[in-house]
Amino acid sequence: MNLLTTSGLSVTFGGLRAVNEVDLEVEQGKLVGLIGPNGAGKTTFIDAITGFVPTTGRIEFKDIEIGPLPVHKRARLGLGRTWQSLELFDDLTIEENVQVAAEKQTTGSFLLDLVRPGRRRDRDGVDFAFEVLGIGDLANKHPNEISQGQRKLVSAARALAARPDLVCMDEPAAGLDTSESQELGRRLRRIIDAGITIFLVDHDMGLVLDVCDYIYVIEFGVKIAEGTPDQVKRDPRVIEAYLGSSARDN
Amino acid sequence: MKDAIAFAFLGLGAGSFFALMATGLVVAYKGSGVINFAHGSVAMYAAFTFNYLRIDGRLRLPWVDILPTHQVNLPVQITISSGGKVNVWLAVLLALAMSALLGVGMHYLVFRPLRNAAPLGKVIGAIGVMLYLQGVALVNFGSENPQPKSILLPDTLFKNFLGFGKPMPGENLGLFIMAVLVGAVLWFNYKYTRFGLATRAAAGNEKGAVLLGYSPERLALFNWIIAAMTAGLAGVFVGSITGALTPTKFTTLIVPALGAALIGSLSSVPIAIAGGVGIGMIQTVTSTWMTGKSWFPDWLQSGATDAIPLVIIVLTLFLRGKSLPIRGNIEERRLPLSPYPKRIGWHVAILVPLGVVLAYGLPGDFVFAGLSGKWSFAFMTSLIAAMLMLSYVLLAGYVGQISMVQLSIAGVSAFFMARMSANGVPSPQDPFAVSGPGLPWPIGATLGIIVAIAVGVLLGIPALRIRGVQLAVVTIAAAVALQTLYFDNSKLTNLMAGSNAAVPPPTFFGVDVGSTGPRGLTDSPKFVTFCVIVLAAMCVIVSNLRRGSTGRRFLAVRANERAAASAGIDVARTKLLAFGIASGLAGVAGVMTAFQQQQISSSNWVYFAGLIALAFAYLGGITSVAGALIGGMLTGSGLISVFGSHQSSGLHTYTPLIGGVGMILTAIIHPSGQAMLFQPLLQYFGRWLKAARVPEWLVVARRLGPYVVLGLALGAIGINPWRTDEWSRPWMMLVGVLLVLFVRSIVVRIRSGGHEPSSDSPAEVSA
Repeated sequence: MNLLTTSGLSVTFGGLRAVNEVDLEVEQGKLVGLIGPNGAGKTTFIDAITGFVPTTGRIEFKDIEIGPLPVHKRARLGLGRTWQSLELFDDLTIEENVQVAAEKQTTGSFLLDLVRPGRRRDRDGVDFAFEVLGIGDLANKHPNEISQGQRKLVSAARALAARPDLVCMDEPAAGLDTSESQELGRRLRRIIDAGITIFLVDHDMGLVLDVCDYIYVIEFGVKIAEGTPDQVKRDPRVIEAYLGSSARDN
Repeated sequence: MKDAIAFAFLGLGAGSFFALMATGLVVAYKGSGVINFAHGSVAMYAAFTFNYLRIDGRLRLPWVDILPTHQVNLPVQITISSGGKVNVWLAVLLALAMSALLGVGMHYLVFRPLRNAAPLGKVIGAIGVMLYLQGVALVNFGSENPQPKSILLPDTLFKNFLGFGKPMPGENLGLFIMAVLVGAVLWFNYKYTRFGLATRAAAGNEKGAVLLGYSPERLALFNWIIAAMTAGLAGVFVGSITGALTPTKFTTLIVPALGAALIGSLSSVPIAIAGGVGIGMIQTVTSTWMTGKSWFPDWLQSGATDAIPLVIIVLTLFLRGKSLPIRGNIEERRLPLSPYPKRIGWHVAILVPLGVVLAYGLPGDFVFAGLSGKWSFAFMTSLIAAMLMLSYVLLAGYVGQISMVQLSIAGVSAFFMARMSANGVPSPQDPFAVSGPGLPWPIGATLGIIVAIAVGVLLGIPALRIRGVQLAVVTIAAAVALQTLYFDNSKLTNLMAGSNAAVPPPTFFGVDVGSTGPRGLTDSPKFVTFCVIVLAAMCVIVSNLRRGSTGRRFLAVRANERAAASAGIDVARTKLLAFGIASGLAGVAGVMTAFQQQQISSSNWVYFAGLIALAFAYLGGITSVAGALIGGMLTGSGLISVFGSHQSSGLHTYTPLIGGVGMILTAIIHPSGQAMLFQPLLQYFGRWLKAARVPEWLVVARRLGPYVVLGLALGAIGINPWRTDEWSRPWMMLVGVLLVLFVRSIVVRIRSGGHEPSSDSPAEVSA
C-alpha cells in the first residue's frame, strides 16, 4: 500500500523550477531514499511534501490530498520531518523538546495547564522515541549541553514522538563519520521495525545504498532514475549525474 | 474636490517632516539593521539645541552633570554668544553638528555593542536612547517650552496657492523642497557612490562586504551620522508646524514616518519621501475636509488621522509577510533563555504575607516613621506595573512577540469598565457623570477584561504574518491609534472634554477595598492587599502556563516557528492564544489601575508609557515572572524610584535619564535582566546561610569586618552630600558599607587577574 504518492509535483521560485514534475511513491513499512547532488532540490522536495513551500501537482498522503493543508495539519495527519539544521527548541529540555511534539493541543489542555501544569500525559510517544533512539539518559539536559550527534538523535526523536506514519529525514548523516553513519543506519532499521515508514534524503551514498529498500534520484529538480539500490547503482544516468564524479573522486 | 486638493497642500508641511524622518529611519536601517525608535528624540534634541541657541546663545551638550559636588563639575554647556542670540544659520549648523554627535554616540555606545543582540534587545536599546535624550532635555532645557519659528520662507503666505482658492504658508513649500532635495541627494548617494554601494553590499551580506575590504563598522557609523543629521534637519526646519517644543516632542510623530519608511521596505529613500508626503497630505485632508462631510462616520471624527498610518503599516507588512518564515530567514539572535519556574508554592507563601505586612506597615508608623501615604501609593503602582509586565513576559518573553500596545489594551479594559459602571448620576466628585448601565464592579471589570482580550486578539492577527521589530512598529501604530480612536474620542467615552472617567471603588461583601484610605489619601492597606492577591494569582497563572504544555508550545514557537509547525503545533493559534492571555493580563492591570486612580483619562495610557513599561520589564528580566516583579518595583514612581527620590530629593529629575542608561546597559551587558542576576546570588547565599555555623561566620567577619566598620564610619560622616537629614543618616551608613564592599570586590577582582566575560556578553567579531 502506498503511504505517500506525488504526481507532477513542482515547486517554482521566481523563474527557477526547483522541483519539476516529480512522481514518487513511498510504500508503507519501507525505507525509501531520495538522493541527488548538492542543489538538486532534495530539501525543497521535503519542504514541498511537508507544506513549507507552495506547490503545484498532487500530493496524496494516506489517500488524502494534502496539497492545501498547512504544515501543522500535515504533521498531525502523521507526516513528520527532521531538519538538516536540526532546529531544536533551545529553551526546552530534551524531554520537553520531544514532548511538545507528542502533545495534542486542545482548549482543555490550556485550561488544565492553569491549575495542573506538571501532570504527565502522552508519555507513550516520548518513551517510544527515547527507546528507539536510545537517548533516555539525555532527558533533563538542554540542547546546548549535548553533542551534535546527540542533537541529531533528539531531532529524530521529536519527529517520532507524535507516532507518525511517515518520517521525512533531511540529511541525518551529514557531519557523521563512517561508523556513526553505520550506527545511524541500524537505528533507522529499528524505526522501520517499529512500524514507521521513512523517507530518507541524503547525499551520503553509502548510507542510502546500504539501508534503503527503494531509491529515487533527482538532479536539477527532475527525477532521473528510480529502483532498488542495485538497479540505481547500475543506472548509467545516475553514474553520469552523480556517482560519476564522486566515484572517480573516491 | 477642489477644496480637498487645497487641504492636501496644507498637509505638505507635516508630510515633508514625515518624509525627512522616514529618510533617516531608512538610512539607519540600511546601515545597521536597526529600526531606530529614538529617531524622534534626536530630532527633538536638535530642535531644542537650535531654539536655545536662538534664545540665550548657549549650546547644551547631550549629558548632564552627574557629579554630586559643586566643586568639580562636568561641562554641560558652551556659551557661543554671550550677548544672547546666535545667527540663524550658525545655529542651524551647530544643531546639525549636535545631531551628528548624537549619531556617533548612538553608534559607538549603543547599537554597535548591540549588533549581535536579539531584535528585542535592539528595540530596548533604542527606547533607552529615547528615554535618555528626553531625560537630558528635561534637565538641560528646563521646563520652558519654546515656540519654534519657521526658518524657510517664514513670512510668505501664498494667498491662492496654485489657484485652488486656499491660502498656504510658505514654510510648507520650503519644507517640501528641502525634503525632496535631501531625498535626491541621499538617493544619488546610495545609488551611485562607492559609499552607497558598500552600504548596500553590507546590508545584503556583511561578511561579503568585509571580504571586499569594507568595514561594516565604519559604514554603520557614517550611516548613523547621516540618519541623525536628517533627524536634526527635520527637527530644526519643521519650525512652527508641529507647535511648542517639549522633551517628548516627535515621539508620536514617528509613527507616520515609520509607515512611510515601511512602504519602501525600509530600503528605498524615494519611496519613503513620497510615502511621507502622501501620509501627511492624506492625514490633513482627513482631519479637515473629510470629517466635515455628512457621510463621514461620527465616531471616527477623532482618531481618523492616527488610524491612517496604522492601516497603511498593517496592510503593507501583512501583504508582504509569510505565515511561516522562509528558509534561511530565521537566523535571528534568540532571546535569553526562559527559566523553568520552581517552588511556586514557597514563593507565594513567603511573598504574599510579606506584601500584606508591607501593605499595613507602609502607610502607618510601622516601617517608615510617620510618613505620608506616598509609600503605599508607590507600592500599589509597583504591584500594578508588575501585572502589566506579566503580560509582556508572556507575550515577548515566552512567545517572542514584541508588542508595545499592552498598556493601551489595559486602557481599553479600564475605560470599558468605567463606562459599564457609570450610571449617569452626578456627584460632587464627578459632576459630569456619564450615562451607562451602572453594573456592579465585578461584572464591569469582567466585561472590561473580555473586551481587552477581544481587542488584543484582533491586534494579534497582524502577528500571524509580521515578525520581530516590524511587529513592534505595528503595535506602536495601534497604540497611538487606540489613544485617539477610543480614549480621546468623546463619541465613544461620552466624556466632557477634559473630564475624567470616574471609577467607583470595589467592595467585597460590603467591605470597601478601594484605594482611598481612612486618612483620605490613596493609601488604603486593603487595596494594597487586594493588589498583592491579584498579582499573586496572575504570577501563579503565568508560571503554570510556562510549566505546562501551553508553555512548551509557546517556547517552541518562540524558538523556531518552522520547526514548531512541523512538530504539529498550530503556530497561528498559539500566537493568538498568547495575545489573548497577555491582553487578559493587561486588562486586569488596567482594571486595577482604574481602581487605584479612581479617575482615569487618556493620559494614563499614552503609548510612550507603554514603551517604557516594556523596557522596565526587560530591565527586570523579560523571560521570567520574577523579572516582571523586579521590573514593577523598578518602574517610574514605583517603590524603588520613590525610595531613591526620597533619599536624594533632586533625584526624580534624573529618573528618565537613569532609566534610559539602565536599559541600554542591561540590553548590552545582561540581556536576561536583573532577575537572572540576582537569582544565582540569592540561591548561593541561601545555601550558605543554611549551612553556615559559627566558624564560617568568624571567617567572614575576619575578612570583611574591617571594611564594614570603615563603611559605617564613612557613612556616619556623611558619604552622601545630597541629603543628610536626621532620617537618612542610618541609611547613609548602610550605603557606606555597601559602597566600601563594592569597591573592595572590584579591587579583589582586578588583583585576581581579571574578570571572565559572561557567556551572554556580545561576542567580539574579529574583523
